[in-house]
Order: sequence, then structure tokens, then C-alpha cells
Amino acid sequence: MFKVSYFLEVLPVIASKVNVTFELTIVATFFALLVGVVIAVIGYYKIPALYQFTRVYVSIMRGTPIVAQLYFFYYGIALYSAFVRDMTPLIAVAVVMSLNMGAFMSESIRGALLSVDEGQKEAAYSLGMTNIQLIWRIIIPQAIRVALPPLFNDIINLIKQTSLAFMLGVPDLMGAAKIEGARTFRYFEIYAAVMLIYWIIIFILGLVHKFLEKKCATMY
Amino acid sequence: MGTETQLVKIEHLYKEFDADTKVLADINLTINKNEVIAILGPSGTGKSTLLRCLNYLTVPTKGAITIGDVTVDAEHHTKRDVLELRKHTSMVFQGYNLFKNKTALENVMEAMTVVQKKSKDEARKTALELLDKVGMSERRDFYPSKLSGGQQQRVGIARALAVNPNVVLFDEPTSALDPELVGEVLNTIKSLAEDGTTMILVTHEIGFAREVATRILFMDGGRIAADGTPEEIIDHPENPRLKQFLNFVNRK
Repeated sequence: MFKVSYFLEVLPVIASKVNVTFELTIVATFFALLVGVVIAVIGYYKIPALYQFTRVYVSIMRGTPIVAQLYFFYYGIALYSAFVRDMTPLIAVAVVMSLNMGAFMSESIRGALLSVDEGQKEAAYSLGMTNIQLIWRIIIPQAIRVALPPLFNDIINLIKQTSLAFMLGVPDLMGAAKIEGARTFRYFEIYAAVMLIYWIIIFILGLVHKFLEKKCATMY
Repeated sequence: MGTETQLVKIEHLYKEFDADTKVLADINLTINKNEVIAILGPSGTGKSTLLRCLNYLTVPTKGAITIGDVTVDAEHHTKRDVLELRKHTSMVFQGYNLFKNKTALENVMEAMTVVQKKSKDEARKTALELLDKVGMSERRDFYPSKLSGGQQQRVGIARALAVNPNVVLFDEPTSALDPELVGEVLNTIKSLAEDGTTMILVTHEIGFAREVATRILFMDGGRIAADGTPEEIIDHPENPRLKQFLNFVNRK
């Protein structure tokens, strides 16, 4: 049966690895946003050659499981690249997650850029504004609001995907759970603890999202 | 209307979207300071295209446009030419097209601070005067989403005036408005006309054009089919297509 005392005992042991999850999430979110913005802008302006390249890239990243991508990168490419071979598993996971999530985020961002209507662009041009002034002062401020909900969804997925880091041997929440499990075989309590921790993190993120959305909504 | 200073000159302007669709064919036109020009005509005859060619929102295929001291030749134009041309005009749109992330006041200030690099204080002062002129000063801190169509359009007019343009282009400014809101916008435009603002106005409001315009152009098939005073065009039309058009409009 579920032993509350053991659950409370194992919870802090597993939670002590939450810093790995945070590190991965923050680094991967940052670089995924970067990748996402670059791809979205390429898509927005349909820059020749680059546009076709990014479409193929996004299609592959969205069309294959991230576990396969992780193994392909860390074990496959490593055979031919000393650079990848010398990476720590943590960095390798961060790289793959940034590339993967960047593809998803690019779609969220591209949709948001496109949501700003043609009329406002024409108004800006008619007043003598340049493309850069238009993007910075009119399009991006409005696109952020539209992009917020899908981007938060992407970040939630990213947090959960960090649990795959353990597959390359990164000692995160899942790693701690596995070690604990091998010792006590009390998987019921252990994985309940893991789920609770993820759930709390994502719940808090949801509150942040709600707060930001409310703030944006009252703006205009 | 007093001084006959030439302000806008259009020479041999053509616009073709492809070989089969010639929207504008050899438009030649000179507009003087303080003229209020109304462009009438059936749908799809190139009225809006002509207007949009004047600030290169639509790039013409051939021909030259001069506004103030800037001349842009369609076949050899640069980005900088277009930017300069746009600084001499401004436009009021059918769909208002206010910047949704900015208040009424910020909409009017935007081009003054960003394009003309005026100080915030100076821009604010001018913007408040303009909002007052269009009767919108009480709602200066409202975002466009909180304004009615008529109010948005009046802010749009203030925004267009803010850059102190040589000529203000109106692209069917009342077509998207509910009938009860058309009056407030037309009155605003009328007061600008009385101030001597040079305007080109694409409109379907024949009565309004008759009353406010100093000159009316009738477009048909991508050409200017008739050009004259409101009396000549509306009261004593000679062109058969123009007669037909006026009959059709009056019957509605």
C-alpha cells in the first residue's frame, strides 16, 4: 500500500535534483526562442533558399520523436563528430531540446506575426515608417500577446521533455527516482513524487502565464 | 481658391497587375495647392489604385509622380525615393488601420516622433491640438478597440494630419462605417476642406463630393473620363458613361 511516511521521505530526495530540470528548461527555452524567432522571421519574409531549408527542418523536427533525435544526435552524430563526442550529456540534451522546441516555437511565433493585419502595415508605410520601425514598434508588441498562449504550451512540453535527459544518463528527477527505486522497489510512492513535482512546477508556470495574459489583455 | 501652386503632378502613369489586367492606363493629372479633389466612378475602375500609387502602397508599372519637390519614376525608383515620397503625403484608410497597441494620442504622435524625430513634448502638443480639431480630445487615452468606427476614423484623420503632409489621401473613408456614423466623419473632412487642406478623396458619397470638392474626376476603365468642377460633373454631365453612372447612383 501507499506509505505516506516513505512518500514524504523520498519527496525531498527526488526534489533535490530539480535544479537539473530548471537548468535544462531555462537554457533550452532561451535558445529555442532564439531559433524560433529566426525561423519565424525567415518564414514571415519568405527569404529564398533559407525559407525552403527551414520548412524541411521544421518538418523533420516535428515529424520525428524527440527520443530518436536525442539518440541520433548523441550516439549517431557522435560517431563522426568529435565536437559532439566531447559534449557532456546535459549539454547534448540542451542542444537537441533547443533545436526541437525551436521548430515548434517558430510556428507559434510565425502565426503571431501574421496575426497583425496588413492594414496597420500599410498605415505605417503611408506615414513614412521603415520596415524596421514597423516590426519593432507595431508588429512585435502585438505579436507577443498572440504568441503568449502557444509559447507557454511549448514551454510546458519542454519541461516535461526534460525527463528524457535521463535517457542519456543525466541525473535529473527521473534519474533520482530510478536510483531510489533500485534501492527500495517502492515505485508507487517514488513516481507519485516525481509526478507531483512536475505538476507543481507546471502549475506555477500556469499562474505566471495567467498573470502575463491578464496584464497584456488590460493593456489594449 | 487663390494661389495656383502646383503640388502634385502625375505623368503617363500605368499600372498593370499582369499583361491582361490594365488597371490604370496613361493617367496624367496636375493638382494645385488647396484643391479638394473627389474621385468618383464605378467599382474596379482604378480609383483606389490611383490613390495608392501616389504613396507607392501600390507600385505603378510606368510613369512619374511628383509631390512637392520629390519626383519618383516607377521604372527607376529606390527605397529612399519611396520613403521621401511618403513623407509628403498621408493616407486615411477605409478600415481606419489605427495601430492597435497604441492609444488615440500615441497613434497621432507616432509618425511625428519616429519618422520626423520631433521631441515627445512637441509631438504631444501637436497631437492634442489635432485631436481637439477632430473632436476626439476627450478620448485621447483610449485604445482603438474601445472606440467606435467613426471615432477611430477621426483619430485616423488626426494621425494623417500630424505629419503636416502636402496632400492627404482619403481612400473611401466612410465606406466601412455604419450609416449613423458617416456624418461625423464627413463633417470632419469638410472642416479640413474649409481650412484649405489639399485632399484627394476616393468616395461613393456623391452628395458630399458635390458639396465639398473643388474639382471632381470621373474614372472609367482605368482612365480619367471626365475632369471638372462639381457643377460640370454632377449637374451637367456630358460623358455618356458618367451620365449612366450618376443615374445608377441616384436610383439607389
